[in-house]
Amino acid sequence: MRTLLAVAALVIAMPAAYAQNVDVGAAEALAKKSGCMKCHSVTAKKDGPSFKATAEKYKGKPDAEAALYKHLTTHPTIKIDGKEEKHESPKTTSDAEIKNLIAYILSR
Amino acid sequence: MGWWANLQQRCRTCSRVTLGAGVLVLALVIGAVMLTAGAAGLAWTNTEQFCIGCHEMKDNVYAEFKGTIHDVNRSGVRAICSNCHVPHEPWPLIKRKMRASFELWGHFRGVIDTKEKFEKKRYELATRVWTRMKETDSLECRNCHHDNAFDPDKQSEKAKARHSTMKDKGLTCIDCHFGIAHHEPDGPGPQELRLVKQ
Repeated sequence: MRTLLAVAALVIAMPAAYAQNVDVGAAEALAKKSGCMKCHSVTAKKDGPSFKATAEKYKGKPDAEAALYKHLTTHPTIKIDGKEEKHESPKTTSDAEIKNLIAYILSR
Repeated sequence: MGWWANLQQRCRTCSRVTLGAGVLVLALVIGAVMLTAGAAGLAWTNTEQFCIGCHEMKDNVYAEFKGTIHDVNRSGVRAICSNCHVPHEPWPLIKRKMRASFELWGHFRGVIDTKEKFEKKRYELATRVWTRMKETDSLECRNCHHDNAFDPDKQSEKAKARHSTMKDKGLTCIDCHFGIAHHEPDGPGPQELRLVKQ
């Protein structure tokens, strides 16, 4: 029971924890500069999933940050309209900026 | 009032043809003055200064627009409020202006006169613009961005791929290019809007 409660608390607290540590302005600027918003939106449907949908998908998953970090930095193959293409990486060399962007996405 | 008496006297003595010609010339002059004044008035309401004359626009949507690609860019060509929110063709322009005049009522009632009220209304206002643009196949975008003038060689591979399927998918510019001049509202986007055709 205690474990269950702890997990539940973690799930509830996780988005709030991400939100506390995120620099929203910097994350939005990086997303814009990197062209993320061409395929993604914060809440609306575009070719890629919205940030809100991604946050919901990873809600409560302890590996969320690592999974998104891998997705954003290793150019994985994605499918749009049945055609395969490489996912772009954020236009920065700073790990901290990428992690801030991930925290921003997960806090939506 | 000597000129009026003089005119009456002349009218009594002149022929009907002269009187008719005089009335016609007068009507033409009045018509030309009204047309010029109307066109000047419409042109004035299309200026940036007019649009940001009220704080609702200046402090919210205009503040968000500053610094975006349509405000500052490498070539210095700007798209001001009216370029994107007012059709350029005469009849749609007049129709839009007539509808926009109802927004004055909202201004006087203070519908969005605080930041909080504006944020509460943001999604509704955005969907109104998206709906109009979907109905007109993004007319306001196409006033400047002509798809028959697209040079595919100058577009990225991704842009080329997306643009090549937009017609088949029944999409228009605003379906993907939203939230570029103003903050994106919280809620479903243009692709999720269900249009009810009148």
